[in-house]
Amino acid sequence: MGGRASLIMVMGFGLVLGYLSTNLNRYSTQALNNMTSYYDATSSHALAVAGANAALAKFYTDTSWSGPMHQSIESGALTGSFTVTMVNVGTYQRRLRSVSTYAASGMGTLHDTVEVYFNTRAGSPFTQYAWFANNDGNVFWQNEDTVWGRAHANGNVHIAGSPVFMDKHTSAKRYDPPRPGTGTNQAIFKSGYESGVATIPYPTDLSIVINASNTGGKHYTHDISVNLVPGTGLNNDGVAAVVDLSTGTKDTVQLADAGFNGLLLSDGNVSVSGVLDGRLSVASLKNINVLDDCTYERNPRFGTSDDQLGLIAANNVVIKDNTANHTGCQIHAAIFTLTGSLVAENLTSLPICGDLMTYGCVIQNTEQEVGIYKAKGGGKSSLIAGFWKDFRYDKRFVDPNNAPPYFPGYYVQAYAISNWWESYRISALQ
Amino acid sequence: MAAILDVISSMLFGGTLFMIILTSNEIATETQATYNGDMFVQELLTNTAQLVEGEFRNMGFNVPQALPSITRADSTAISFLTDLDRNGTIDTVKYTLGNITELPETPNELDCFLKRQVNNDPVMSVGAVTVFHLSYLTKEGVRIPSPVPHDRLGEVRMVEVTMEVQNPYAPARTASMVKSGERTALYSSSLWQQTRLSSQNTRR
Repeated sequence: MGGRASLIMVMGFGLVLGYLSTNLNRYSTQALNNMTSYYDATSSHALAVAGANAALAKFYTDTSWSGPMHQSIESGALTGSFTVTMVNVGTYQRRLRSVSTYAASGMGTLHDTVEVYFNTRAGSPFTQYAWFANNDGNVFWQNEDTVWGRAHANGNVHIAGSPVFMDKHTSAKRYDPPRPGTGTNQAIFKSGYESGVATIPYPTDLSIVINASNTGGKHYTHDISVNLVPGTGLNNDGVAAVVDLSTGTKDTVQLADAGFNGLLLSDGNVSVSGVLDGRLSVASLKNINVLDDCTYERNPRFGTSDDQLGLIAANNVVIKDNTANHTGCQIHAAIFTLTGSLVAENLTSLPICGDLMTYGCVIQNTEQEVGIYKAKGGGKSSLIAGFWKDFRYDKRFVDPNNAPPYFPGYYVQAYAISNWWESYRISALQ
Repeated sequence: MAAILDVISSMLFGGTLFMIILTSNEIATETQATYNGDMFVQELLTNTAQLVEGEFRNMGFNVPQALPSITRADSTAISFLTDLDRNGTIDTVKYTLGNITELPETPNELDCFLKRQVNNDPVMSVGAVTVFHLSYLTKEGVRIPSPVPHDRLGEVRMVEVTMEVQNPYAPARTASMVKSGERTALYSSSLWQQTRLSSQNTRR
C-alpha cells in the first residue's frame, strides 16, 4: 500500500515539475527567439547597407557603371548575399538599390532594401562669383580695376594695365595677352588664375523666375516702378511700393509676408531705387533701370545683416542718366543679366559721375564699360565720362544657400547623393 | 507505541514533503514570472527599437537640402521631417516620452508611454518604456547640449538613443524580502542603446 502511494507521489511530483520545466523552457526559448530575430533583422539590414556601400565605391570609380552587382558573403558572423541594381528614375535622377538575402534562423529568408538616389547634376547660384561674364565683349580690364571675390569669364579676358583680382580668376578660354607680366597684361592675381577651365553653362531663359513669380511671387504685365521702403528701424519690416506705370495702380508688397516668396517680376521694364529691409528679387523680362541708390537698411559691410536684393534682367541693368546718378551710384545687390549687361545709359554723353559702387555680385552675359577712361601713364587712368568701377563682393554669398530668392544658377554634371532610404520592420502600432 | 511512532514520523515526513512542495511551487512561480517578464520585455523592446531605429535612419528622406531635417531636438522628444510613405509629401514625425502619471494602471511606477505622432494625426503609443533618452552629436562627434537651439539643429548628424523597457507587472515581494533600496517587485529590465544612429540624409 505504502509502496504504491510513494509511486503515485513520485509520479505526481514528476508531472508537476515536468510541466513547470516545459513552461520555463518555452519562455526561455521565446526570449531567445526575440533576440535572435532582432539579430537576424539587424544582420539582414547590415548586408543591404554593405551592398549599397560596395556599389557606391564601384560607382564612384566608374560613373558609367550601371550594375548589376551580386556578391555572397561567408564571413562566419555575417552570411548571406546582396544584389545591387542601378536605374534611371527620372530626369537627372538615378537610383541604386541594394537588396539583401539572409537565411534567418528558423524564420526563412529575410530581405532588406537600401535605396540611394543621385542627382546627376548639381546646381549653384551665380552668387558664388563676384564677377561673371559669359562673353568678353571686347572690354579691357585696366588700371585701378579691383575685384574682390571669385571672378570667371566664359570668354577671353582682355587686359590692358594692372587690374587687381583679390580672389581666384578663371577663364574658359584665355587671357589676352596670355601671361601676366607680359605686354599689356600686368594684372595682379592675388589668389591665382587659371585658363582653359570648363565652361560654366549660362542660362538660356528665366523660366524658373517666371514660374516663381506665378507661384507665391508677384507678376506684373506692364512697366513698373519699385520703391524700396525700409519701414521702421525694426528688422525685416520693409515693403516694396510698386506702381504700374501704365495704369497708375499701386501695390504694396510686405516683404516679410509668409505668403510672399520674395520674387517680384514684370513683363516690362522695372525702375528701382530705395532702401531694402528684407529679402527680395526684382526681375524684369526687359530692362531694370536703376533710378537712384539701392541700398540695404543694414549694411553687411559694417555689421550683420539679412537684407538681400537680387536684380534680374532679361536684357540690361541700366544705370539711368539722371541727376541722382550724376553724383555716383550705390547698388547693394546681386545683379544678373540674361542677354545683356550692366550698363550706364548715354555713356558717351554722361558727365563724370564718380563711383559706381556695387556690393554684391555682377553676373552678365556680355561685359560692357560703365565709364570712358584715358590712360595717364604710370599705371593711372583718368575718367572722362561715366563711372569709376568699385565692385565689391558680398561675402555672405559664398554660402550657396544664401542668395537672393530665385537668383539664377548654373548646373554641372555631378553624382551627389540626394536621398537615402532604408527598409525597416515594424510591428503593429497601437 | 509502534503505531504512534509510525503516525508521528509519517506526519513529520509528510509535513516536510508538503513544505518542500510549497517552497518549490513558490520558487517555480517566481522563476516562471521572471522568465515570462524577460520574454515580454525583450519582445516589447525589440519591436520599439526596430521602429525607432528604422524611422530615425530615414529622417530627412525627400526633404530639400535647404531645410533642416530635425525641427526639434530635446532629451526626451524629437521632431523631424521625412517622407514616410515615399509619396513625395514631407511628413513631420514626432516622438515624445509621456508622463508616468499616464500609466497608473500598471504597478510599475517608472513606466510611461513612448508616443509617436505623424503630422496632425492622433498621437499613438508605440510602447511603454522606463527610459527614453536622446543625445545629439555633430559630424565631429561633439555632443550638443539639449534642447538643441534652433540655429544649431542643422548641425545634428548623429543621434544617440537610449531606451529601457521594464515589464509593467511583476510578482510582488513581501516586505521581509525587500532590502533597503530595492523595489517591491521583481521587474525584468532590458536596455537598448544606439550610440551613433545617423541618417545619411542629414549628411548630404
